Amino acid sequence: MGNVLLLAEHRQGALRDITFEMMAIAPKVAEDMGGEVTALLIGSGMDDMAKKLSEYGVKVQVIDDPVFENFNAEKYQKVLSALIDEKKPAVLMTGQTAQGVDFMPALAVEKKLPLVAEAVGLEYVDGTLKATRQMYSGKVSASVAFKPAETYLVTIREGAVEAPEPAAAGSVEKIDSPFKEDITYRKFVEYIEAEVGDVDITQSEILIAVGRGLKEDKNMPLIEELAQGIKADVAGSRAATDAGWIPHDRQVGTSGKTVKPKLYLAMGISGAFQHVAGMKGAKTVVAINKDPEAPIFAVADYAIVDDMFKVVPALQEKLKELKG
Amino acid sequence: MSSESQTFTEKYDLLGCIQCGRCTGGCPVTVRADLNVRQFVNNAYDEDKLEELSRLAEIWDCTACHTCAVRCPKGLKPLEVLIGLRTIIVESGKVEPTVRDALQSVLLEGNPWEKSRAMRTDWMEGLDVKIAEPGEPVENLFFVCCTIAYDPRVQAVARNIVRLLNKAGVDFAFLPEEESCCGSEVFTIGEEGLFEMLVEDNTEYLNEFKAERIVTLSPHCFTTYKTHYPDLKNPVIHYTQLLDELLEEGKLVWKGELQKKIVFHDPCYLGKQGGIYDEPRRLLKNIPGVELLEFDRSRERSLCCEGGGGKMWVESTSTKERLADVRIRDAKELDADIVAAACPFCVLTLEDAMKNLGYEEEMRVAEIMELLGEFVEA
Repeated sequence: MGNVLLLAEHRQGALRDITFEMMAIAPKVAEDMGGEVTALLIGSGMDDMAKKLSEYGVKVQVIDDPVFENFNAEKYQKVLSALIDEKKPAVLMTGQTAQGVDFMPALAVEKKLPLVAEAVGLEYVDGTLKATRQMYSGKVSASVAFKPAETYLVTIREGAVEAPEPAAAGSVEKIDSPFKEDITYRKFVEYIEAEVGDVDITQSEILIAVGRGLKEDKNMPLIEELAQGIKADVAGSRAATDAGWIPHDRQVGTSGKTVKPKLYLAMGISGAFQHVAGMKGAKTVVAINKDPEAPIFAVADYAIVDDMFKVVPALQEKLKELKG
Repeated sequence: MSSESQTFTEKYDLLGCIQCGRCTGGCPVTVRADLNVRQFVNNAYDEDKLEELSRLAEIWDCTACHTCAVRCPKGLKPLEVLIGLRTIIVESGKVEPTVRDALQSVLLEGNPWEKSRAMRTDWMEGLDVKIAEPGEPVENLFFVCCTIAYDPRVQAVARNIVRLLNKAGVDFAFLPEEESCCGSEVFTIGEEGLFEMLVEDNTEYLNEFKAERIVTLSPHCFTTYKTHYPDLKNPVIHYTQLLDELLEEGKLVWKGELQKKIVFHDPCYLGKQGGIYDEPRRLLKNIPGVELLEFDRSRERSLCCEGGGGKMWVESTSTKERLADVRIRDAKELDADIVAAACPFCVLTLEDAMKNLGYEEEMRVAEIMELLGEFVEA
């Protein structure tokens, strides 16, 4: 039996995106291995989440107990350890998230089971389970196999695949918690929400960064509108944060933040060495600057030598056209 | 070097302090940040309080300009108390990711800019540069500095000096790519262990070369070698001293005229810390046509540009006007056409301020070597 046990991740009463993303991987693997997917929910009071999960055509098992009201890696490890013994799933899968990395390695060591961390793909080919991992900042994809074992552990990178649409009705079943005695050595203290409106630009996929070329604060709406259109976050050079156009925690550079978006749009930024050092992790760089000698062009994949106030409206226009 | 058994109070001679307050009174960053260095020296007597003190954000506002040390009547270095507190934070690993990356890059690649060591000598491309070899005698052995080697904005400093010295027939060589960071910023950031390692490794490395003297391009390297490398065999000078010698020997021949008003900004590491005030001024004054101006705050009283003390990797919590902006406004009031400096960090911070204030059309920030490269025919 090649069953896949998928541990759903949730926070503050809502399922995390990674849970749905794993639905793009788990059913195919289970099918190829001749088994089925069981989605496991651990927590307290999760009827809505269980229903939502079951809409993916999977069997949802719920461990509903007040002791799991808040995430605790040790408790999760104990539950999963017992379930591995009991259910002997072929694959135990969860997200490569702050939660997943907190217990999966420990679980692998405890159970002496092979773990592939941060996989972007998983498939069962010719009787072998193979995971795909990215190396060298995504320049190389490595296909890795597991050491033969009864259960394979894998964590899936967030945002690696697109979540599918709900497929078919599944089932929901409450099961008993194998976790009997509460632990006291690690306790939940407080949940601290990040400040409202606080964007962590180090995690942004698309960034528009403005520099001195913005000239004045009243030009910001133009940039914000474009950002909205392409789902980008807005950051700035030191000059832009000094001028107060951009909050200080969104400064890119050696004395600010180091960013690694898939797309970096540098607008009116000359590209001082200290700024460029903060954005060298960007996959694709588009630079707009009036000065053809601006050093930013040395690191840009696409260079537009023109006034940003001419280029941005043109981009907006094109964007509208594309969106129909 | 510190010994393990020393207490914080002994290490920084806190009991030598008479709490006169000249340090805080002269500290340039007090105008924009809540930094009171005298108070830190006072509070650091209490070993139990050190960790709490180390968590205060203002310890990162210090630019290590050394104004406090210059003014201290007891000859202490109050700023090093702040560095000692940074060390506590660095050892606990709770530094900004940018600082962590810079330190890691020094360890792995020999520079804080996260650039490959293999690219350290790329600035030499197309130039006729002799590369020094261990044991081979050379009169002037050049140490290029990480920032000048990698930042395209200031690479001209190294390139121009090569052209100039080649024409002047001076015996010189540059170090190969094995050259590593002097550790100036590592020291001020408070990474004591890494700094000790650099001092040891660099001393051993540099002592292999048979040079009459080591010439540094950045005042940060200059002062760091002079102050923290007791076992370095060769004397260390700054390039303005070498050029001043050439000037005296009549080996610098001026071409054309520079009808400009230039004001010289004393870099803290060259002036306050290195004691070099006159050489750069003599060089500038000798460019035909130049009118040399003076800031009110010049020489020992020079206003720091806030480029040192690890500030390239840590932003101040203050949003008040940067000192570099103040400096550029002062230059504007003097009606200066060019603000000249002899330090890569000063050039970067002052040029940024000049652009911020919108003076790009009428003012220029230049490293002395950029100007000399344009107006000297050796």
